[in-house]
Amino acid sequence: MIPSSALSEASSIATPAQAEVSALEPSKADPARVLAERVSQLYGQMPVVVIATLVLGAITSYEMYHPRFADVVLLWWIVVSAVTASQLGLLFAYRRSDPKQADPKQWHRWLGIAALASGATWGIAAAVFFPAHSEEQQVFLAFMLAGLLSGGVPLYAASWPIYALYAASIVVPFTYILGTYGKTLFTTLAVLVPFFYAANVLVAYRINRVFSDGYRMRHAYGHLTGDYSSLNQRLEEQIAELMEAHREVDASGRKLALFAERAPIAVFETDRNATVLEMNPMAENIFGYPAIELTGRNLLRTLISPNDPGLGSDWWTNFIAKGEPVTGLRVQCLRRDGLEISCEFSLTPLVNDVGDLLSVIAQGRDVTQQLEVERLKKEFTSTLSHELRTPLTSIIGSLQLVNSGVLGEPDKDITDLTVIAERNAQRLLDLINDLLDIEKIESGKIELHPEVFALDDLVREAMTLNRAYAERFSVRYAAVGQLPSAKVNVDRKRLFQVVTNLLSNAAKFSPEAGTVEVSMEDRGERVYVGIHDRGAGIPENFRNRIFSRFAQADSALTRQKGGTGLGLSISRRLVELMNGEIGFVDREGGGTTFWFELPKHSS
Amino acid sequence: MPDRPLVRVCYVEDDEDIQKIVRMSLERLGKMTIEIVSDPMKAIDVITAFKPDLVMLDWMMPGMDGPTLFGKMKENPATRDLPVVFITAKASSVEMNELLALGASGAISKPFAPKELPEQLRAIWSALP
Repeated sequence: MIPSSALSEASSIATPAQAEVSALEPSKADPARVLAERVSQLYGQMPVVVIATLVLGAITSYEMYHPRFADVVLLWWIVVSAVTASQLGLLFAYRRSDPKQADPKQWHRWLGIAALASGATWGIAAAVFFPAHSEEQQVFLAFMLAGLLSGGVPLYAASWPIYALYAASIVVPFTYILGTYGKTLFTTLAVLVPFFYAANVLVAYRINRVFSDGYRMRHAYGHLTGDYSSLNQRLEEQIAELMEAHREVDASGRKLALFAERAPIAVFETDRNATVLEMNPMAENIFGYPAIELTGRNLLRTLISPNDPGLGSDWWTNFIAKGEPVTGLRVQCLRRDGLEISCEFSLTPLVNDVGDLLSVIAQGRDVTQQLEVERLKKEFTSTLSHELRTPLTSIIGSLQLVNSGVLGEPDKDITDLTVIAERNAQRLLDLINDLLDIEKIESGKIELHPEVFALDDLVREAMTLNRAYAERFSVRYAAVGQLPSAKVNVDRKRLFQVVTNLLSNAAKFSPEAGTVEVSMEDRGERVYVGIHDRGAGIPENFRNRIFSRFAQADSALTRQKGGTGLGLSISRRLVELMNGEIGFVDREGGGTTFWFELPKHSS
Repeated sequence: MPDRPLVRVCYVEDDEDIQKIVRMSLERLGKMTIEIVSDPMKAIDVITAFKPDLVMLDWMMPGMDGPTLFGKMKENPATRDLPVVFITAKASSVEMNELLALGASGAISKPFAPKELPEQLRAIWSALP
């Protein structure tokens, strides 16, 4: 039930359209338009005036005819005809005028003159015929004049001044004749006639007021009707827009329903208590429950396996209270056939504008196979790591012992071969280590252990420890000036790996007897390390994939100088994981600078 | 730091090739006395009898893995106080840290450099409390 206060409130609230309508009161109608309507009414009655004048004029002429006054009667009839003709002319002129440009005041004035002329013809008739005729004819004439006076009221009532003018032009000469006739009765009538005149004018005035109010009302309601029709039109347009919006929403809804229906994932809609409201066909497939069976049941209690350790009893309550989406929720679920599967869910609470929860959309997929693949992959990686490293341990270990001379000095040819064997075994080990690193990085399983240390110390240490490697290519490392002291907070071991990779690359691709320069710059919030070689530079077609896996510009050179093609890819990913940047630029005069930047640690 | 040099080392490892390399490295380069155990199930007995200064354990072995054997050593009064160094092909820092958290004295990843192995062991020996 709607409270009465709400009703009164509703009734007291005016819509903008209502406010607009209430402003249009009859009193505020346009006077010019009201006058135009009155003039139109008056001209509309002119045919009646013309016909009545002609008929009554003819009858009067007939009644007044006498051979003695034949000329006067004829003259009067000509005057009546002329006045009537001019009235007809005026009527035609009015009807042919453009109503938009017509001046109602002017037409009103012309009509007043016409009415005055018409009344005057009858005033003349009273003045000329009344004294000269018999009593019978006098009674006829008095009756005729009274009829004209009273008949003029409805004809001219739309403008009482015109009526007053018309009636005065009849009454004034007639009253004069009555007053000067010399008969007591006529004198009495002469006194009464002005009263009749005044009474008639008063009636005309009152009728005129009613007419005027009527015109104003009609005019105002015409406005209202216009406004209402424009409001109606606007409403119709708005309704059409709403219908269109409704159709669009409906289409979107159908689209969404179609997506949900055909989606390759399970989609549930539940209420705030996790009771299933709807589910899609894939949900039926994954969990083995027909929709009709699961609808109305609790999603958590029905689907989540009792063996699942993850969700506590308050989990759902807390989720609803927070009202925030949850993704990547892994739970053990129990299918209808008792088979346990691993599922990953995304839960999205649907809330309205004021934050009230409407329902929850749960999207889930069966990740049992994916988890199994991940487990197998991990196992494979672990096995690969062990099974490849163990024989390599024997190979590298044996060759190192032979090459170290601890077992005696072998023949030079043998030593040459065992050195080659050891170097290649080491390459194989590097490749395995790099592959394991890539796998760890890409699966997101790499763990960085940040610590605060001086980057310049690490760079110097890397230069020292890689010196022997560089000497194999007759290359030396040299710091450019004094390396600035700068602390970073990153995984030291992994950064060492990056610097070693860049230094060894630079040594490998430098010309013999070349120098690889190492520079550092303190750049405010970041610190820059550059490793500059004088090698052949990076070929144009290799630049955009230099940081990709197994990226090597020249495979023949790789076989000659070693390298797995994974080092730069690993370095880039490691530097990015440290919130840094890595790149390369051509050096002026030839060669390449590989650089990286890391955020400085602010103690 | 122990007040005597590292001399006697017992190595539990199933791979015969690696056994040979470690033996050569430690005996010839390191001048140590080494006892190799191939079967981890017999390791406790051999260790108890040999009385090494330090024990090296492989991680992955058939029958019993290194960490399990390490646990059994900790349960045995005769072996519980012996320093243990894992030699493992499991190279991740997480796994290395796990070993140290178990109470291992050190971890050396495979493949190791036989030339440097004696020095690596001595460094771990010197760092013992």
